Amino acid sequence: MCASVKYNIRGPALIPRMKTKHRIYYITLFSIVLLGLIATGMFQFWPHSIESSNDWSVEKRSVRDVPVVRLPAESPIPERGDLSCRMHTCFDVYRCGFNPKNKIKVYIYSLKKYVDDSGVPVSSTISREYNELLTAISDSDYYTDDINRACLFVPSIDVLNQNSLRIKETAQALAQLSRWDRGTNHLLFNMLPGGPPDYNTALDVPRDRALLAGGGFSTWTYRQGYDVSIPVYSPLSAEVALPEKGPGPRRYFLLSSQMALHPEYREELEALQNKHRESVLVLNKCTNLSEGVLSVRKRCHSHQVFDYPQVLQEATFCVVLRGARLGQAVLSDVLQAGCVPVVIADSYILPFSEVLDWKRASVIVPEEKLSDVYSILQSIPQRQIEEMQRQARWFWEAYFQSIKAIALATLQIINDRIYPYAAISYEEWNDPPSVKWASVNNPLFLPLIPPQSQGFTAIVLTYDRVESLFRVITEVSKVPSLSKLLVVWNNQNKNPPEESLWPKIRVPLKVVRTAENKLSNRFFPYDEIETEAVLAIDDDIIMLTSDELQFGYEVWREFPDRLVGYPGRLHLWDHEMNKWKYESEWTNEVSMVLTGAAFYHKYFNYLYTYKMPGDIKNWVDAHMNCEDIAMNFLVANVTGKAVIKVTPRKKFKCPECTAIDGLSLDQTHMVERSECINKFASVFGTMPLKVVEHRADPVLYKDDFPEKLKSFPNIGSL
Amino acid sequence: MQLRKKARWLALSAAWLLLVLLGGTPLLRLAVPPKPQPGPPQGWPRWLDAALLKSFSQPEELPEDAVSQPPSTLRGGSCNWGTCFDTSKCRSDGLKVFVYPAAGPISKVHGQILASLEGSHFHTHSPTEACLLVFLLLGKDALAPLSSPQPPHWNRGQNHLVLSPYPAPCPCASWLGRAMVAEASPMVDTFRLGFDVALPLLPEAHPFRGGNPGQLRQYSPHPREALLALAEERGRWRMAGINTSDCPWDGHCEWDLGPDLNDPGETLPNATFCLIPGHRPEASHFLQALQAGCIPVLFSPRWKLPFSEVIDWTKAAIVADERLPLQVLAALQEMPAERVLALRQQTQFLWDAYFSSVEKVIYTTLEIIQDRIFGASAHPALLWNSPPGALLAPPTFAMNPGDFPFYHLQQGSHSEERFSALIWVGALGQTPLKLIQAVAGSQYCAQIVVLWSSERPLPPRWPESAVPLTVIEGRRKASDRFFPYRAISTNAILSLDSYISLSTSEVDFAFTVWQSFPERMVGFLTWNHLWNEAQGVWGYTAKMTNEFSMVLTTAAFYHRYYHTLFTHSMPKALRTLADEAPSCADVLMNFLAAAVTKLPPIKVPYVRRHPDTPLAPAGPGTGQEPQLLAGDCINQVVAEFGHMPLVSSRLRLDPVLFKDPVSVQRKKYRSLEKP
Repeated sequence: MCASVKYNIRGPALIPRMKTKHRIYYITLFSIVLLGLIATGMFQFWPHSIESSNDWSVEKRSVRDVPVVRLPAESPIPERGDLSCRMHTCFDVYRCGFNPKNKIKVYIYSLKKYVDDSGVPVSSTISREYNELLTAISDSDYYTDDINRACLFVPSIDVLNQNSLRIKETAQALAQLSRWDRGTNHLLFNMLPGGPPDYNTALDVPRDRALLAGGGFSTWTYRQGYDVSIPVYSPLSAEVALPEKGPGPRRYFLLSSQMALHPEYREELEALQNKHRESVLVLNKCTNLSEGVLSVRKRCHSHQVFDYPQVLQEATFCVVLRGARLGQAVLSDVLQAGCVPVVIADSYILPFSEVLDWKRASVIVPEEKLSDVYSILQSIPQRQIEEMQRQARWFWEAYFQSIKAIALATLQIINDRIYPYAAISYEEWNDPPSVKWASVNNPLFLPLIPPQSQGFTAIVLTYDRVESLFRVITEVSKVPSLSKLLVVWNNQNKNPPEESLWPKIRVPLKVVRTAENKLSNRFFPYDEIETEAVLAIDDDIIMLTSDELQFGYEVWREFPDRLVGYPGRLHLWDHEMNKWKYESEWTNEVSMVLTGAAFYHKYFNYLYTYKMPGDIKNWVDAHMNCEDIAMNFLVANVTGKAVIKVTPRKKFKCPECTAIDGLSLDQTHMVERSECINKFASVFGTMPLKVVEHRADPVLYKDDFPEKLKSFPNIGSL
Repeated sequence: MQLRKKARWLALSAAWLLLVLLGGTPLLRLAVPPKPQPGPPQGWPRWLDAALLKSFSQPEELPEDAVSQPPSTLRGGSCNWGTCFDTSKCRSDGLKVFVYPAAGPISKVHGQILASLEGSHFHTHSPTEACLLVFLLLGKDALAPLSSPQPPHWNRGQNHLVLSPYPAPCPCASWLGRAMVAEASPMVDTFRLGFDVALPLLPEAHPFRGGNPGQLRQYSPHPREALLALAEERGRWRMAGINTSDCPWDGHCEWDLGPDLNDPGETLPNATFCLIPGHRPEASHFLQALQAGCIPVLFSPRWKLPFSEVIDWTKAAIVADERLPLQVLAALQEMPAERVLALRQQTQFLWDAYFSSVEKVIYTTLEIIQDRIFGASAHPALLWNSPPGALLAPPTFAMNPGDFPFYHLQQGSHSEERFSALIWVGALGQTPLKLIQAVAGSQYCAQIVVLWSSERPLPPRWPESAVPLTVIEGRRKASDRFFPYRAISTNAILSLDSYISLSTSEVDFAFTVWQSFPERMVGFLTWNHLWNEAQGVWGYTAKMTNEFSMVLTTAAFYHRYYHTLFTHSMPKALRTLADEAPSCADVLMNFLAAAVTKLPPIKVPYVRRHPDTPLAPAGPGTGQEPQLLAGDCINQVVAEFGHMPLVSSRLRLDPVLFKDPVSVQRKKYRSLEKP
């Protein structure tokens, strides 16, 4: 007691030394405080998710009450667009920092109403389409509300249609945007550029370095790799639902549906019509429509009235001629109808031509050749026409059908320029979903025969059968092309034998200890594997001769993208049970090889470990079975190719069952393996295994030829 | 006691104070429900009165598109394909190319370019017949205004291609008029898209024909090899490791520089990425990297990548912003294995298909121009960008990629279920009755075509067979048997000589094997090529050996595509060679298949009936020197191809149960078991 008084009087110590009881009390108190602190620290992460689930961020507001900004008459105007702009000269990439998602961040300026000195509005607020466009961006992954983190800026000043703009004042409005900075990293969307009389092919609003996503660029105004050419959106896309029409002959071979054609062009088209009669149809505006009928939705030929755009589905080819502007909304209608557009507009930059392969969906004809268009089209084979029709429709579905599709494709193109190493491939842009689904892109597509000198790495998976393991090691080490031996020690309860006990072999031997007894450890891409070829071998496969293994490696070199193995197996469709069945009998066909002894490329280890679809990997580890079937599925699925079985059938000591003997157990084993096949087929969504009737033998196998002169004499002997 | 209480209170209140100060604010925040923050809303607002928003155009405006202007008022002095090239001249007989003869002494590269142009099957001697006239610029400071008088058929450059194997120092478009320019590494700013052609910058000693194969020896990078090589001046390279910690954020990196490499051919294949600055002189590094299988990483190139009109360079190279070296390095380090693998392989394919020799570069240029003329019937992008490449996939053969033997996987299509047997009846003119029966017995046989190449008259009657039989009278030339006859209706061809004997089993099995390898030749009898060290020449042997590299077309399955290639794409000199020495036709066909696939053919089992079958000498070799057959032919073919494409194989594909100790009843192909 006295002591405590004394200390209290003295006072300097922060934690007074006191009796044990009190000390415990204070320690408890402080730990409670500490816990409280930690807990509150953790709570700091909670509120975010709670807040964001509150939907007050996307507010419903009226267009009427936006803030008004007055533009003085003498406020600055940006310079005209710089034609020499390229991404590396006019675009500030430093704003687009490195991020793991490789996604640019887009900021949208808030909406303002601009009025000139006398209070007259510069333009009507925004259009429905521009509102949709900005909504699409703000709903996408690209959007950020933090102006400081943004890499791309989209003004909420609508310049989609130049006709409705006051050029000078719009430019002034752009120039006073808070981050304008000569238009750097600003993106403008424009679909109808130019105005009478000369109809420029790019937006006339001075915009300095701003990027332009424009509909109707010509080669003279388009800054390749900087601007983005976009479609002219057709409002009919949203209004009219045209169901996809299957390929096949259509009523008209060639159709022209545009209303405002230059008389010269119309004359030429009508001449074609007179020449080819039934197969060419040139439509015009209807002159005598009754009241209330929307003239946009009707087209006429002499006295016949046609519904537009439905009539487009009746034609194989549809003309898309330049009008005053190069970009025509009819292109969108034509694609929607699955009609192949015949684009006749010299120097026109087709929408998204930076990434879309228009050769696959359209025919481009020089204006000069308009009169020959019929014969040009006739030379295209029917099969290709059908392909183009499908492609045209797919382009519309993916990139034309909504303002959202147009906006996102534009941002994706810009994104791919900034993060080229993560860019979307040609196939992803252009292949219709049906092709994407069916096509197989073999990861080892280059025909390459790896040099023999490289050799292979043998990987032996073992648990505790040391004696048998040592025999396997000794046998395998006799194979000339072996360059390294890796033992995967899968037993956590027991240490591998001491180094001195291992067989002495001529190549490096390395033991890898695993953290868990899992079958997938056999397929892990160990850093120790330096060769491309891997031989997976069980610790009880002692019956393979050195000749057989060496020959297997030689075969792998000729088929480096396949599994090359010894015992072969087959999958069969069981018609009674209506499911797949596993077969290990003497059959005339093979579709799998056991990985108890198989060569393959080490890349497949990487795929097995990191890219195995679904839960297959965990399933295999949990069931301690079928890792080899999983590997067969994986390789066949990714390469589209069959396995290669090498050398004649041998008596393997039940290679796929570990230490189980007897018929009944064997049968349950077969049932389990069949289940694996059915399980994997459902995860892959298809049956990737390919059935073949051949196996690989040495050239002179069983030929009438002296054995001693054969390269691989010791094959097939038991 | 009092003091103790005091101390306790003190501690308690201090603790509370601490708690409130440090952690209280978040707790409080949690307690009070969040309130909408004032200021600008997040995201784009949803308008209450969205229905009031007008469309960006009036309903009539889009279809009307205002008034038309006269179409003739095209602006601009620049050219594009539609306006400056007259395709009507090429309409009748396709692309015909005339080359102006060189005036004065020319360098080696120029000579090779001229030779390639003249050797191509587009070439014509008549300038009036030609639809493309090629003018080769001499000298290194090319594209300087023409000092010599303009070429005789110049016509303001209409349908002219001005070819310059070196980059031009200035864009002197003024005198070029309507001519296209094919220039090495052209500047991006002056390049006319879809009109000019970007050529690669060729090194001084580039092979004329054939060319060296790519240097990549393995698919995936070796785990120990260097990641980066940096391009330096005068075509040199430096190896480097990435250590981003050495890079301060101003973009200047302290490279962990390795040794300077004078001979890039040796060490370059070990690097995964080759960093190449964007300035034009550095363009010469590009081909080196490509050949080495080192993925080119180009920093804001000011020059156009070669043949970028048709080649999708995003599949083989990375074009990055030079202002963000660190970001790029980080991205390279993190690049997924599958992308690295794909990029590496694509470099090798592109190198070998379009760049490895002067001839390939020139042919590619002409092929691009032909594609522009073809318009809709041009090569699809797939054919340009996947093996074997557009030069080996003539659009005259087929428009649909599925008709070629190479693209089944990418197209998700299947190879055909049936084959046509093409039986060649030689000078002796025996009717191959037994053979027809055996082949027609195959369940996969669609038709039999007999190519009668004998002086003897056609037999009046042919045996009844289960499949249609067509007889074609040949012109008694060996190259006839590889003509793409219209009568052949399937993609698979079984080429046969009338004296060969085969069983239905053998045919059936061989065909199922071919279905797995539609791009390769699958045959029964084999030859092997050899290098004769002593004489320094190639030879080949028909003896039984442990290896083979050719299968005889006296009995082989292959794709119809090879007939088109043999007849239309091969230099004429080679075809005449085949006519002069018929056994050379076999060699040629195998060279062709090997050059396309880069793989050996496939051998299937063949039951020998007569110990003295011609062309397949039997009897075990006794260890003596293998006899060399018509070595002349193979050496001439090697010279014409520019390299030896044949690859040897050591395996044969047998039925799964072939000669296995199991009941014959279980086996599908029993007759193959006969001794």
